[in-house]
Amino acid sequence: MDIVKNAVGPAPRQGEQDDLASAVVSRTAFVPLLGLGVAFYALCVHVADVDFIRLVEGLPRLAGWIARSWPPDLSEIDVLARRGLETVAMATVGVSFGAIIAAPLCLLAARNIAVSPLLALPARWLLNALRGIDSFVFALIFVAAVGLGPFAGVLGVALHTAGSIAKLWAETIETTEPGPVEAARMSGAGRLRVFLHAQLPDALPQLSSILLYMWEFNVRASTVLGVVGAGGIGQELKNSVDLLQFDRVLTILLVILAMVTAIDQLSAWLRRRLS
Amino acid sequence: MTPALAISGLSKRFDNVIALADVTLDVAGGEVVAVLGPSGSGKSTLFRCITRLTEPDAGRIQVDGQPVDPLGPSALRRARGDIGVVFQQFNLVRRRSALANVMTARLPSLPLWRVALGRYPQALREQAEEALRAVDLDAQRDQRADTLSGGQQQRVAIARALMQESRVLLADEPVASLDPDAARMVLALMRRLAKSRGLAVLCTLHQPHLAAEFADRTLHMRSGQIVAGADDA
Ligand SMILES: Nc1ncnc2c1ncn2[C@@H]1O[C@H](COP(=O)(O)OP(=O)(O)OP(=O)(O)O)[C@@H](O)[C@H]1O
Ligand SMILES: [Mg+2]
Repeated sequence: MDIVKNAVGPAPRQGEQDDLASAVVSRTAFVPLLGLGVAFYALCVHVADVDFIRLVEGLPRLAGWIARSWPPDLSEIDVLARRGLETVAMATVGVSFGAIIAAPLCLLAARNIAVSPLLALPARWLLNALRGIDSFVFALIFVAAVGLGPFAGVLGVALHTAGSIAKLWAETIETTEPGPVEAARMSGAGRLRVFLHAQLPDALPQLSSILLYMWEFNVRASTVLGVVGAGGIGQELKNSVDLLQFDRVLTILLVILAMVTAIDQLSAWLRRRLS
Repeated sequence: MTPALAISGLSKRFDNVIALADVTLDVAGGEVVAVLGPSGSGKSTLFRCITRLTEPDAGRIQVDGQPVDPLGPSALRRARGDIGVVFQQFNLVRRRSALANVMTARLPSLPLWRVALGRYPQALREQAEEALRAVDLDAQRDQRADTLSGGQQQRVAIARALMQESRVLLADEPVASLDPDAARMVLALMRRLAKSRGLAVLCTLHQPHLAAEFADRTLHMRSGQIVAGADDA
């Protein structure tokens, strides 16, 4: 290993002390960089319209709402529980569809498999594009395309999550040991068989853990999808806030909290069992 | 008779390092040939070029009289099936059983679902068990590879090569990660298989006394060339 590294690494230039030189360069660059960082942050504070006076003025109104929210309105708890279930269902089905899309993408994108070298780059572009657009944005578009309701949310979650899962999966596969892969390649088998035989078993716990994590994350993230009309408990939340029914808002927040905590615990427990 | 492995004029350079310079050698079936040489002398490069895991710059490679050097990707894959390899680091799939690791040799002929699930047809299973018996590991058949000792793992790797039914076995430092007892056991096994099955064995070693004890012939490499031993067959 070391021999190879020495052979391919850059040869030290003569009469130059690399460490000292790089330390000086980074020190001279430090002050301008810090200045730039401060300026950028100041710009952000200005653009973000930060105004604590307004926060202070708004506090009494907030306090009033909080006071009015007690006791929580439990009269429609069955409806809300059903809507909570809808959110969980949306995230679960969405993530499962996302995983189905992600599987071929990650096989194309992982550098140490590259089932088809020609498609590796387009696959990586596609997964970065999917990952870059939030499920909220996808859901907004799908509501327009397939109508209001949880199915639009499912599609939104599926597309965005496909990109995230594919990227994380590909990165995991890229960390598998090269030795067993070479041994399997020496049998004359193609890349897909080599992957299934020599890489998948070692990567599987980590791949499953990623899937569970994405599920847990999407249950949390999907609570807001209702705001754009894509179903679930978020829709109830938006309606109640619009109608200033704060006792009902409190109940919804409690339902969300209970649901998210339960899923988090379950997922964490399952992931502990995998490792 | 054509030698099982015939190499002539094999050359490879990396940037400014000449790793192999015009290497020529033959190994007959049933013969064990050891390669000795200092670190960096090109031993691993020689092995990787024979299997074309590293592409040589020039030279001819014949396995059982069949040229390997001019083959395109799919023909090369088939030709690799005729070369068994054993690595210093064993290179077993950790989380699969000894038997599944032996089965690596038959991947090309298995349907994808069998490869993924590790469910193999009965006839192949029997063959793999046979190979494990030949390396004295029938009791460890279902044990996970990462729970086997180093010597046992290397024997699984040899069984994997046997399962391939190849006539050539390339072993790059097969005993460098093993203690002396396990090392002798593995080398004795390779020698026994060479004699009983007519396998041509090419094997790099670091200890001259092991080469003297287990090899029919010893080649010495230095700076990518075979400097001695080529003629004392
Ligand atoms: N991928 C590579 N890129 C650049 N140089 C390489 C590469 N592989 C090997 N070399 C160089 O080729 C020469 C031969 O290396 P090789 O690994 O074949 O030696 P070796 O005889 O197997 O040594 P060791 O006994 O330490 O295993 C070395 O100088 C090495 O640095
Ligand atoms: Mg070496």
